[in-house]
Amino acid sequence: MLTLEVVEMELPLTALREGESGVITSIRASFGWGKGGGYGLQKRLMDMGLTPGTKITVVKSAPFHGPIEINVRGYRLAIGRGMAEKILVEVQK
Amino acid sequence: MTEKKLKIALAGNANVGKSVIFNQLTGLHQHIGNWPGKTVEKAEGTLHFKGYTIDIIDLPGIYSLSTFSLEEIVSREYIVDEKPDLVINVVDASALERNLFFTLQLMELETPLIIALNQIDMAEKKGIKIDLKRLGEKLGVSVVPTIAIKGKGIYELLEKAVEVIEKGAAKPSAISYGEEIEERIRRLTEALGKIRLKYPARWTAIKLLEGDEQVKKEIYDLSPEILQVAENLAREIEEIHGHPCPTVVVSERYEVAGKIAREVQQILPRIKPQLGERLHEVTIHNILGYPIMILIFLGIFNVIFMLGGYMSEILNGLLYGYEPLFENLFGLNPLKEIIWGGIMEGVIANITIALPYIIPFYLILYVLEDSGYLARAAFLTDTLMHKMGLHGKAFIPLMLGYGCNVPACLGCRIMETERERLLAGFVVTLIPCAARTTVILGLVGSFLGLHWALTLYAINLIIVFLLGKLAFKVLPGEPTALIMEMPDYRLPHFKTVIKQTWFRLEEFLKISFPLIILSGLIIKFMEIFNLLEPISRFLSPVTVTWLGLPEITGVTLIFGILRKELTLVILATLLGTTNFQEALTPLQMFVFTLVVMLYVPCVATIAACIKEFGWKKAAIISLLEIILTISVGGLAYRILAILNLLEH
Ligand SMILES: Nc1nc2c(ncn2[C@@H]2O[C@H](COP(=O)(O)OP(=O)(O)OP(=O)(O)O)[C@@H](O)[C@H]2O)c(=O)[nH]1
Ligand SMILES: [Mg+2]
Repeated sequence: MLTLEVVEMELPLTALREGESGVITSIRASFGWGKGGGYGLQKRLMDMGLTPGTKITVVKSAPFHGPIEINVRGYRLAIGRGMAEKILVEVQK
Repeated sequence: MTEKKLKIALAGNANVGKSVIFNQLTGLHQHIGNWPGKTVEKAEGTLHFKGYTIDIIDLPGIYSLSTFSLEEIVSREYIVDEKPDLVINVVDASALERNLFFTLQLMELETPLIIALNQIDMAEKKGIKIDLKRLGEKLGVSVVPTIAIKGKGIYELLEKAVEVIEKGAAKPSAISYGEEIEERIRRLTEALGKIRLKYPARWTAIKLLEGDEQVKKEIYDLSPEILQVAENLAREIEEIHGHPCPTVVVSERYEVAGKIAREVQQILPRIKPQLGERLHEVTIHNILGYPIMILIFLGIFNVIFMLGGYMSEILNGLLYGYEPLFENLFGLNPLKEIIWGGIMEGVIANITIALPYIIPFYLILYVLEDSGYLARAAFLTDTLMHKMGLHGKAFIPLMLGYGCNVPACLGCRIMETERERLLAGFVVTLIPCAARTTVILGLVGSFLGLHWALTLYAINLIIVFLLGKLAFKVLPGEPTALIMEMPDYRLPHFKTVIKQTWFRLEEFLKISFPLIILSGLIIKFMEIFNLLEPISRFLSPVTVTWLGLPEITGVTLIFGILRKELTLVILATLLGTTNFQEALTPLQMFVFTLVVMLYVPCVATIAACIKEFGWKKAAIISLLEIILTISVGGLAYRILAILNLLEH
């Protein structure tokens, strides 16, 4: 009999290929109560639905350090690569 | 009897159709198009309905009631401070979950509201069906289905809005969070009860836990102890959940939104990918995307050039035919000179040179804007824009700049930081607007060929890129990351396209013709009093010696600051003909157009820059561009003369 081994890995969103899905675990940037520079963008991402536990699918990963397009909560969102690197996702392989 | 007054605000996510509804209700012409972030300032209009005078307010689209972006600040301040009688929350039925996240926040704010469930046609196309009754019950809010672009449901929406206000809108019930959060909200709300707040206490408590900078600051001013309490409670939540408190609050709110969305909507899987999906794939394709973009732009200029040239010729023959009639009417006396030479020449030149290019240009640009392509172009150019310290979204105002720099300057507000807004605003002023395009196509294109006109556009893009990079060096900083919703492709709505084009054209006509007539008269009088020569001579070291242009161009360049097409129109007036070959060599045409393309923003653009960036920065931008133009123009003149590519 064939056994399927399920391995869960935590990767940055940029590591996913087009068509692959993952579940957000966290957004790695200074956060919390301090007034960090990344706070605004990170809050913006969450306000647009990228909260921990959300399933996302990569639709397009542009070349030359270009942005990434994902499908999240039923709509399409483009995210710059620098920001996408900070989004950690769990992938089932 | 005086009419009773009501205030109704339109609020919701970006690109959901708020401005379409606003235009339908008020008959005004707010900018609409298919990309998120068009409305940047609130707009007001009035309408009369069932004995009420109703103020309708169109607000910028936002995803949350935070205060990080300008749009959020404008919208939140209006809703919180002005307290409209009712908020119409416009919801995009095809992205219900994300839209409801915002609805829940309005409910927390205890704003009286109803929902316009818009774009149900788009949702249907995606196979989404929404149970309206169920949605209304779940939220405790009235829901009116609309297809705003076709005017469907707008009357019912208005009727419902007034009915809800008359009944005394029941404040919607708020959602509840997990028990461990609710308990802390309760404790914080209690603490807040001791001070006088302009917001609802529960909302304030939630915003404190969400880490809202503005609310935190306001509470700190009132009572630093409460802020301390909030910080402690937030830390407790963080310890329980293992995530920062704002993340926890936002996650739970999204969970509620998701749950409601799943309960009320039914999504049928599409078997065949829709045409829009296919187009989307091709236009952001890794390889194909770029040639397609270039082809689209080349195609646009080609079509405009051909259409414009054709119409220009017809109009030319038509209008100059009237000169003999004028001579018969007035004879060959000074009065004829002033009316024909001062007014009619300018008016005719404007009709024959400017309008034929401007009309198709506005039309095509608007179709492009309403199709949704601009968001794809922004996606494709993100990497390139990073080299100028910007990100892909800045490409949208840049593209709009080809239509007119003024709204494009205001459009730079979609950039997140002040630095980026300034950088983007600077490059936008260098983009040849429709007025400059009339000179590029009408002079260089007509007399030297389209390839020379396209050369000018290419030179322009190179200059924009290099100067953008340079400006980035002067204003260094980490570029913000691109975060942009990608709207679905849409077939542009014919009537709206015509209306929006007509509206822009009307604005053009209203400003352009009076200015042309005035300038024409001033020039006639200057001619009569012999003032033209001294002025032209004064500028001749630059225009003649350095740029190699005829002396007469000095005056036209001065008037061109008012509006760029005036450079050519006034040249035609002064020459008494639109056959520019008689006065300019091909090389002079090229250099003249290059100068016109770059030399300084027109007054309206300068005014927009002052409004957005302050007069100092506006002055620096203008000065810089004058210096740049003089250098580039002189260089081009010499290089082209040596290469002997154009007759001189
Ligand atoms: N198919 C369809 N398209 C619509 C409908 N309502 C609006 N649109 C289109 O949606 C796009 C956005 O409309 P706008 O009114 O500009 O959106 P907005 O909410 O004001 O957007 P921002 O000002 O950017 O926040 C435009 O292309 C409209 O033509 C609708 O009911 N059906
Ligand atoms: Mg709008």
